[in-house]
Amino acid sequence: MFGVMERNLHIHYPDAPPMHLHRDELPNEPVRYMNKKIMSKDNWLSFVDRLISDDRREVVGVQSKGEKFVFDPLDNAKDLKLDHDVTILPPKKYLLPTCEELMRFSLSDGFEMESCSKAVPRIIIGMHPYDLIAIQQMDQVYLGKNPDENYKNRRENTLIIASDILTVSDRSFAASMGTCTVSDGFDLLVTDLGDAVVVEEGSPAGTELLSKYTSAQDAGEGDVAKVTQLRQKKQVEYKVAVDVDKKEWAGLLEQNYEHTVWKERSEKCLECGSCTLVCPTCFCYDVEDTASIGLKDGVRTRTWDGCLLRDFTLIGSGEVFRESKEDRYRHRYYRKGKYLPERYGFVACVGCGRCATQCLPDIADPADIFNTLHGSNMRGEPKILAIPKVEEPDMAEPLLTPRPATIKRVEKMAAETFFEIELDDGQPLGHVPGQFVEVSVFGYGEAPISISSPPGGNTFELVVRTVGDVTSKLSTLKSGDKIGIRGPLGNGFDVEGLKGKNLLFIAGGLGIVPMRSLINHVLNKREDFGEVTILYGAKHPKEFLFEDEIFRWHERKDIVHKFTVDQCTGDVCWEGNIGVITTLIPKVQFDPKDTTAVVIGPPIMYKFVIRDLKGLGMPDENILMSLERRMKCGVGKCGHCQINGIYVCKEGPVFNYAEIKGYPEAL
Amino acid sequence: MKPRVAFFDFASCEGCQLQVVNLEESILDLISVVDVVSFREAMKEHSDEYDVAFIEGSITRPIDEERLKKIRGNAKLLVALGACACIGGVQGMSNEWSPEENKKEVYGDLPGYEHTGDDNPFFEKPIHKAVNEVVKVDAYIPGCPIDRNEFAKIATAVLMGKTPKLPNYPVCVECKKNENICVFELGEFCLGPVTRAGCNAICPQYKSGCEGCRGFLDDPQTNAHKEVLEKYDVSVEEMLKRYNMFNFRKEGY
Repeated sequence: MFGVMERNLHIHYPDAPPMHLHRDELPNEPVRYMNKKIMSKDNWLSFVDRLISDDRREVVGVQSKGEKFVFDPLDNAKDLKLDHDVTILPPKKYLLPTCEELMRFSLSDGFEMESCSKAVPRIIIGMHPYDLIAIQQMDQVYLGKNPDENYKNRRENTLIIASDILTVSDRSFAASMGTCTVSDGFDLLVTDLGDAVVVEEGSPAGTELLSKYTSAQDAGEGDVAKVTQLRQKKQVEYKVAVDVDKKEWAGLLEQNYEHTVWKERSEKCLECGSCTLVCPTCFCYDVEDTASIGLKDGVRTRTWDGCLLRDFTLIGSGEVFRESKEDRYRHRYYRKGKYLPERYGFVACVGCGRCATQCLPDIADPADIFNTLHGSNMRGEPKILAIPKVEEPDMAEPLLTPRPATIKRVEKMAAETFFEIELDDGQPLGHVPGQFVEVSVFGYGEAPISISSPPGGNTFELVVRTVGDVTSKLSTLKSGDKIGIRGPLGNGFDVEGLKGKNLLFIAGGLGIVPMRSLINHVLNKREDFGEVTILYGAKHPKEFLFEDEIFRWHERKDIVHKFTVDQCTGDVCWEGNIGVITTLIPKVQFDPKDTTAVVIGPPIMYKFVIRDLKGLGMPDENILMSLERRMKCGVGKCGHCQINGIYVCKEGPVFNYAEIKGYPEAL
Repeated sequence: MKPRVAFFDFASCEGCQLQVVNLEESILDLISVVDVVSFREAMKEHSDEYDVAFIEGSITRPIDEERLKKIRGNAKLLVALGACACIGGVQGMSNEWSPEENKKEVYGDLPGYEHTGDDNPFFEKPIHKAVNEVVKVDAYIPGCPIDRNEFAKIATAVLMGKTPKLPNYPVCVECKKNENICVFELGEFCLGPVTRAGCNAICPQYKSGCEGCRGFLDDPQTNAHKEVLEKYDVSVEEMLKRYNMFNFRKEGY
């Protein structure tokens, strides 16, 4: 059997290459196996039949479906097509299935869950070069520093028998993208020459497969020349070309954020998501908990999602962060041509043309968009949209598996609920102020919640407002109940960098929850910091949180603090300031040039607070803020929390205003 | 105490209740967590003491509205079951004509027609309304018929106090995930791009265009869809016929 054939050899686990470096410039080319074999067509077919009958792995290959093609399990080598133009779905469906179980859990017992990482060992036959390159891109995303267990498991159990393109798809522009031929990443690469088949070995696993199930001669120079000729011939058969080199796509996009093409095309968009679903380089996903009908157990599933769908950025409170059709439409192109290239070094389009083929209004073709931009004189204010460099932390636990935790204390606050939580393994959470955790309530799902307690101690604290299913259920839990925790996630505040600085805290509403973590840290180590001023506003006097702690601030002579309410109605007595948070700013003394402001509050608050701080002469880089988005995976994979190209869950949620002010989707 | 559940039918084929009965072994799981107190299609017993009411069918006559309001009054939660209850169903097409015209078309002057006047409450002013046109609806399980998996999903959500959330994306999403050939390419035309998913694209799966039985999305891209239909040479009459089949004049076509 093939037990020894572990396939780590040519799966790269790369760190992100330097900015703007493209795949074909990557250093350290992997070991290349250049053996080429030749076999008759009959021998090829019997080789495939032997794979089907004798190999332990499932064999899938390209087959006809009406006039189209799909990858499907093969029963017979005769069903295999090597002259297909393109398959409806790319082979990503075998590595990131349309729907997969991530874990099963019990709903009756406290915390009983089991991760599911099923990988059917599989041989995929007929994969075109562009799809292979797309899989190499997926490898970079999913097998980076903290690999996705399920993806990794599948990837390591997959052998790829690629095939040269014999029929060029009508809408493909792979020749322009340099993706119509490939020199590595496969286990075997077949070229169907009609009467004979040339097979190139790309890995020891591929070599072993050949030697085990067939005997093929070395290909002669003439055979190899025929392969080269075929590739050259096909290269000029493309009907679609992109006039601008893919390395220039990012620059073109930087110049054209406001181009009219986005609005014009998006008006025709059905918002059906087809372009992203059929794309081999779109791999955003959603996660959902479902209970079985008897409510005894349930399953957490991962499904494909897409940024063209409106609810992609919807959060529990009902807010949709990428609200306009135009913004959603634009985002897809920027992700492909700008954001992923900058992050990973590859242009996330391989020119397969599937999106163009599937889009009913025919507005999804990247070739059309980039040619339009290239040929247009319209240029706007350049938007560079650089991604802040953040060192990815080592995750202790598997990426998608929550750690069991126990609720130690519950307190009802104004409209919120306070929780003190302990991890069942007894370890401290190890967070810094400003980070968040993903809280699992099995059957209800996962929600990102800011950590409210300062670092240190064996427990940590969360404050939850009831907005969606997870938080609704959470607010009914009692001391002793079990939940799941992933994290700490996100960057948090640079606490070391704040040492010695004068600090002005400005919190609005629930913004006090994450800010409390930093305030209490600063108050615990008061001597490490300069002047401390705290401004805190709530809608109504009843809505102030942490009253006991606030009361203790009154006793401290080493801080200045002021409160305000938007309005004061009913029977609550309030002698303090009435007015929005910005009305407090003129009431405190601080040197704008020598003070760092930490601002956290509802989206609308940022605009006005920043305006006023800047009005007083505060430099942009002195303003820190924490932003909220739909943080779903928490590890920069699922795509939901993006502000343009930034993952809020990874490069945020804490941002320096100077760093993020140029991002149209930020504020 | 287990939540008590009752099923009621109005103008419908009762096929959606049949789908519930067809849950087969998982219906045993369901009745392990609820008490079914009324379900005419599956049991003899009946009680007016229930927490959750499932309503199948469109609401047709004043006596139906009264009956529905009574059910609403008894139930803590009310769930619309199937296309007729959720959007009025195919019978909604008859709303194009007045009740008198419809009755004349159906009964004409055949013997007994004299009993079909508005003075007979069973024949009084029949027009077709979705359940939410008469009472508040807490959850919807759309489709003609309903999808059993979706029934299970929404029913468990209701029982767990979760938001009974339906997909807010079009059928195309499920169609693509199933790797179907787009029916437009097969010469069919399809309401999938404007229709709420959740059926697993069952009709396109069998090469038949979506009829829109699950109702339109919250924000259907009807203008973009119309442009596509024009591109594929679908006549306005054909378009209207299909749009009106389940969604009679829902989007002002």
